[in-house]
Amino acid sequence: RSRRGRRKARWERGGKMVARTAGHCGPRGGVMAAPMKRAAGWGRWFCTAAAPRPWRLFGAMCLLRLPRITQPLEKEEEEMAALMEQIELEKSHYSDHEVRKLEEEEQLRRRKESAYDDDDEAPGKTVIMAQDLEDKWEQKLLGFEAAPRITDADKNNNRTSLNRKLDSNLMLLVKQKIGNQELWLLPQVEWQPGETLRSTAERAMATFLGDHIQAKILGNAPYGIYKYKFPRAIRTEDNVGAKVFFFKAFLQSSDLSQAELKEDYLWVTKDELGDYLKSEYLKKVNRFLLDL
Amino acid sequence: MLAAAAAAAARASRGLSSWLPQTVPLRGSHWQTSLLALRASLPTRAQPKKKKKVDLKREQAQKDRMKKKIKKLEKLAPEMIPIEDFIPPVKYSDNNRVRSLPPLSFEETERRVLLMKKWCVFKQKQDKAEKKAIQTLVEAQQEALKELRLESEELYQAAIRRDEGLFPFERDGPNYTPPLPGYDPPEGKCIDITKVYTQ
Repeated sequence: RSRRGRRKARWERGGKMVARTAGHCGPRGGVMAAPMKRAAGWGRWFCTAAAPRPWRLFGAMCLLRLPRITQPLEKEEEEMAALMEQIELEKSHYSDHEVRKLEEEEQLRRRKESAYDDDDEAPGKTVIMAQDLEDKWEQKLLGFEAAPRITDADKNNNRTSLNRKLDSNLMLLVKQKIGNQELWLLPQVEWQPGETLRSTAERAMATFLGDHIQAKILGNAPYGIYKYKFPRAIRTEDNVGAKVFFFKAFLQSSDLSQAELKEDYLWVTKDELGDYLKSEYLKKVNRFLLDL
Repeated sequence: MLAAAAAAAARASRGLSSWLPQTVPLRGSHWQTSLLALRASLPTRAQPKKKKKVDLKREQAQKDRMKKKIKKLEKLAPEMIPIEDFIPPVKYSDNNRVRSLPPLSFEETERRVLLMKKWCVFKQKQDKAEKKAIQTLVEAQQEALKELRLESEELYQAAIRRDEGLFPFERDGPNYTPPLPGYDPPEGKCIDITKVYTQ
């Protein structure tokens, strides 16, 4: 009796494993399927297209616009940079330009002290002094105006433009309808059998931004996962919930004028994600985003 | 011997067989062994024979000398290529080039030492934060792959396959200011004067 009990326990355990791990033969397979599965080995499942699965798969794309300017230095970094420059100056020798400048200063001083001793120098000859050169270079530098680091979009806080916050990563958020709610999410699309998850993510990007997007997807593997169960009203035995797999991509082209954005979209930094995403979703997304 | 044979052939054609066509070989002298041997060998002079041998010998000798030189050079270790950056040019070792600055005060040295220590701590914190971020990244990915494996094996295998198009990955780093729209850079040509050494 004890032996029978033990065998039954094993089968029960096997059956539970099947249900939890979403066996393709479905939970309807039940106990009959368990011994076959055990013989085949727990690792190898063979996908049968017709069999229903309790989890729906989604592929989401986290499109990052990489920073275009350097981040401002912190206080310690600035102090250290100043110290390094000072030490470098102390350890260095005079350069050609500096030697020339010193010599010319000496000459000027001697001329002033000796007072009109070298009239034999041709008066028409104009000597370009090193100091004049320096002044000329300084003027040229002041004449040049670089593009501002804080752009107009920053000042207006226009979150739909890509020119905002040039020193940090920006990612794309799209408003999508899930169930009966309009939510801000990373663009996602349901997986269709016959394609890999990476192509699902690419399709998601294409549906929201059009085909002419140059983005470099970082590898075939997903970076994160968000699992959620449907509310009890919709949940069936075959449709317990959904798994959203996130992929990362870097935006290569800097202008998206050709992009036909159909829905509402935003480009936000990691800190601003909290304003739009739900807490659980946000937690999972934050895990695979580097804070730079 | 061949010259004699040629002379004999000429005499023969002129004297005895003037009515015969010139092409028919005749045995002009007892030195000729066969009728065919005459026309087969070209009439040669004594001079070209010597030139050929001397030339050959001289050429051979030259080739041997060159080969010996090459072997000697090869036996020597190859000369090291000098690294231009490590050899300071001679003009900078002049004494008048040495900078004259006042010596550092005690406060200044103290300040510097304390700043270096603060920098150490700052960098250590930064490094730890980076490593922790990478750790969470890797963990998140492992979790995602585990869930994917539970879902479907073929999708998992497709996910862990290597992405050939990813490397070499090139990107222009960030600058201090964003690019100025409509900026016309000044024209000029960059002439590279670095010395290239070959071994």
